[in-house]
Amino acid sequence: MLFSYNWLQSFFKGKLPKPEKLAEFLTMHSFEVENLKKVKGDWIFDIAVLPNRAPDCFSHLGIAREISVLTGLTLSSLLSEIKEDKDIKAKDFVLVEVKDKIACPRYTARVITDIKVAPSPKWLKDRLKSCGLRPINNIVDIVNYVMLETGQPLHAFDFEKISGVQNQKSKLKTKNIVIRKTKKGEEIVTLDEEKYDLDENILIIADIEQPLAIAGIKGGKKAEIDEKTKIVVLESANFYPQVIRKGSRIINLRTDASLRFEHGIDPNLTEIAINRAASLIQEITGGKVTKGLIDFYSKKVLPKKIKLDLDYVEGLLGVKIPKKEIKNILKRLGFKIEEVSSQQLLVEIPTFRLDISIPEDLIEEVGRIYGYEKIPKVFPRAALVPSAKNSELFWERKIKNILKETGFSEVYNYSFIGQKDISLYQFARSKEVIEIENPISSFNRYLRPSLIPNLLKNTKENLKWFDEIKIFELGKIFYKKEKKMLSGVLAKKESKDEEFFELKGIIDFLLNKLGISNVYYDQYKQTPEASSIKIWHSAKCAEIKIDGEEIGFLGEIHPTILEKTGIKEKVFVFDIDFEKLAKLSSEEQEYQPVSIHPSAIRDLAVLVPGGTKVEEVLNKIEVTGGELVRDVDLFDIYSGEEIPEGKENFAFHIIYQAEDRTLSSKEIDKIYQKIIKVLEENPEWEVRK
Amino acid sequence: MDLKNIKIETQKEIKNAKNIKALDEIFRKYLGKKGEITQIFDSLKKLSEEKKRKIGRQANLLKNEFKEEIKKKLEKIKKEERELKLKKEKIDISRPGKKIESGHLHPLTLIQREIEEIFNSMGFEIAEGPEIESEWYNFDGLNFPPDHPAREMQDTFFLKQKNREKLPPSKKFVLRTHTSPAQIRYMEKHQPPLRIIVPGRVFRHEATDAGHESNFYHLEGLMVGKDISVANFKAIIEEFLRRLFKTDLEIRLRPSYFPFVEPGFEIDMTCLICKGKGCFLCSKTGWLELMGAGMVHPNVFKNSGLIPHQLNNEGWQGFAFGIGLDRLSMMKYKINDIRLFYSGNLRFLKQI
Repeated sequence: MLFSYNWLQSFFKGKLPKPEKLAEFLTMHSFEVENLKKVKGDWIFDIAVLPNRAPDCFSHLGIAREISVLTGLTLSSLLSEIKEDKDIKAKDFVLVEVKDKIACPRYTARVITDIKVAPSPKWLKDRLKSCGLRPINNIVDIVNYVMLETGQPLHAFDFEKISGVQNQKSKLKTKNIVIRKTKKGEEIVTLDEEKYDLDENILIIADIEQPLAIAGIKGGKKAEIDEKTKIVVLESANFYPQVIRKGSRIINLRTDASLRFEHGIDPNLTEIAINRAASLIQEITGGKVTKGLIDFYSKKVLPKKIKLDLDYVEGLLGVKIPKKEIKNILKRLGFKIEEVSSQQLLVEIPTFRLDISIPEDLIEEVGRIYGYEKIPKVFPRAALVPSAKNSELFWERKIKNILKETGFSEVYNYSFIGQKDISLYQFARSKEVIEIENPISSFNRYLRPSLIPNLLKNTKENLKWFDEIKIFELGKIFYKKEKKMLSGVLAKKESKDEEFFELKGIIDFLLNKLGISNVYYDQYKQTPEASSIKIWHSAKCAEIKIDGEEIGFLGEIHPTILEKTGIKEKVFVFDIDFEKLAKLSSEEQEYQPVSIHPSAIRDLAVLVPGGTKVEEVLNKIEVTGGELVRDVDLFDIYSGEEIPEGKENFAFHIIYQAEDRTLSSKEIDKIYQKIIKVLEENPEWEVRK
Repeated sequence: MDLKNIKIETQKEIKNAKNIKALDEIFRKYLGKKGEITQIFDSLKKLSEEKKRKIGRQANLLKNEFKEEIKKKLEKIKKEERELKLKKEKIDISRPGKKIESGHLHPLTLIQREIEEIFNSMGFEIAEGPEIESEWYNFDGLNFPPDHPAREMQDTFFLKQKNREKLPPSKKFVLRTHTSPAQIRYMEKHQPPLRIIVPGRVFRHEATDAGHESNFYHLEGLMVGKDISVANFKAIIEEFLRRLFKTDLEIRLRPSYFPFVEPGFEIDMTCLICKGKGCFLCSKTGWLELMGAGMVHPNVFKNSGLIPHQLNNEGWQGFAFGIGLDRLSMMKYKINDIRLFYSGNLRFLKQI
């Protein structure tokens, strides 16, 4: 909000500090001065008034009050002298009727006759312009000026344009002003010639026929002030913040007035502001102020009292401020103090301070005026309790480190995906996808039900620059519920079609480092439920199972998806439920003794029908070999020349070793023969000797 | 040949030997089966006892000396040959080193870890909270009055729900706009004294640019006890920043407003570039705006099932703060555009 230095100066007899100095005072003790600009002999302050202080500080008066507290300069009074005309009474002109006391707690009005509408004097125009308002005519300008000065929005109606009925006693027509909620079908044309269809239940100021103004938001064309206006009805009212806020939202119109009403204003301000405006109109236009303030005020707001414990002031701020100083600060802020006991004050809060309702609010006032910079830095005293370990974060950390070791880089993607992704991955069939009511665009209308779509976008982009992509993300997905997932991508410009096993090796490595054994890879079977997500190449995908529980998937991305996302390379992905993984992980790992006895290697080649699983053969060798077979490595799979049609050759290194002795070749041969015998029990398997 | 001549002869030959093979020949010439020294020993038996002893001793001496010299020469030749070989193996050490491909962690992970370690060392526990929050936890519980302008300070993403308007705040869901809901969630389950930090992703309905994102990271801090004060907050937060930026810096508190704290502050720290003199980064103020903070509002304690400070000095008080990790990471690693964090761009991510 913009404030003029000259205007602020006008509240004081004494000289204000230089603009820069004043800006620093305000920033450190009240509100941040976001900008300070020199404009034609004046300085304009752009002040970020805090929302809780809007009621008293969306005005020059409010800022001047702050300045007075900070500098010790005395604030001049705003009370204005009005010479009321004894012969004409305001109530003969207008009759105010408030239909909704909650929406309109106070309505004050004055009637001023014999005015002459003309351009405003230069000083008035200058002040409005410096605060970003366009001068219109003296009446409208004064109304706006008083709003900028006091924070109370006012409105002026042309009396003669208001519809009314003939009054019997006087020759005048008395005009009825009604504050009520709109009925269905009502509409208004505002001062800027815009037509608004007013929904039901919007608070308006109306005459007997139609709306004159949208209460607290904008005036209507009907009773607009123009050059011919002779009699003005001034309005200074208080409206319930939520009513104005709601109305402003419904008709989608925000104004300087609605901004102030939305934040709440002291009802006691209406009177001060209307008298100020009336006196200015009298002074500038020579109008006659009729006798009496029309005032509808259903329940007068009185100052609150709050008990302040000085020990708590010290305890919360962490600094002992002398009682004298605390009292002095509160007094400068306009609070009245009664000393209840040596350590307790009873503080009366002026009604314009809508933000203060509890002792902590008062402690803030003391703290900020005293100066937060004067509070020492003191380390807290606390029991030496070691902090509890967050095991999920521990595993998160560990997993990220392991993947980094294997050459994977971590990415963070948006939590959103778009309509296109939803249909591409066919998530849409499921009602479990979560939609945002107010997305920024259709590209981020949904919460990601999987990390894969965004990872594929990363892959596509990065393949422009790299021959090999190894990325992973650990983040929340939203599918039925919020869940942490761990997903990663391996893609190469020149695929040797071995990436599945490379990735499988990485998963094995990861699980091993997490102390997880009993890993089993099961052929991926599309369940009817899961088939809504057709991400995987159905023949190149495995379910990762631990102790029989599925924790995720590993496989190649379906060619259709790659085609539609514009990726030419094969892409391999793992997609693991992090929460399951973290639960299964274990820190307890043990070393095995290292045998001092030599090991022996024998190779073994088996001819099997195509499509035989390596695992089947491997299991047989391991089970038959027993303890003395320390390891079995598959080192070659071959089919083609020299191998019969439809057959495949698996070649293994079998490593024999005992813990307690050197194995003799006799012993080794015995096991070797036994393995061959067991393998050849399958008539289709042939060990090549 | 007499012993003396042999000695002279051997010394000469050994000296002239150029390689191991030549040395081997010399050895055999004198100590081989028919070697000259061998022959002297062979001829001993023809001599008298006295001569035998005398010449025998001399011959032994000669033999040992000869062997010793051969050995010395052999070592010398070997050393020369080795050095020659090393010279031949000379490489151009200016050639570039072989590239090591390692993975990389995200800069936000890096800064989060560093912050977690600092707070861990001061006894703070790390907690987490959900990204989808109810309006109650995100607003009402944190003392945001219903239908109040303060809610608009935080541009919120709302989840699409049937008849949303009719649902109570605990059933209306939003994407959390800050990590502060975790304060209540934690205090509901834990009795003070307590100190926690809560890192996590938050969401704001904002147009994106170099400084703004629709999702980003916050880190919440909360310390509650019988007598936790603003003075304590200042000490903890300055220590944290000094450790994070590894430099001697100052902080300052300015008044601010957040419904869930009272008093509320904005925290600035000395500009890292100009050290407070004023530069482009800090808009010539010498200070960088860093985070919001304050003393936990009594209503937040009440909403968490705890008793706030009472006149009899019973009840709890404490501080809370919320810091943007993206901005902090940008300051620490000199990153100029927040969008890079969520771009998945490996040319960016592989730098650190």
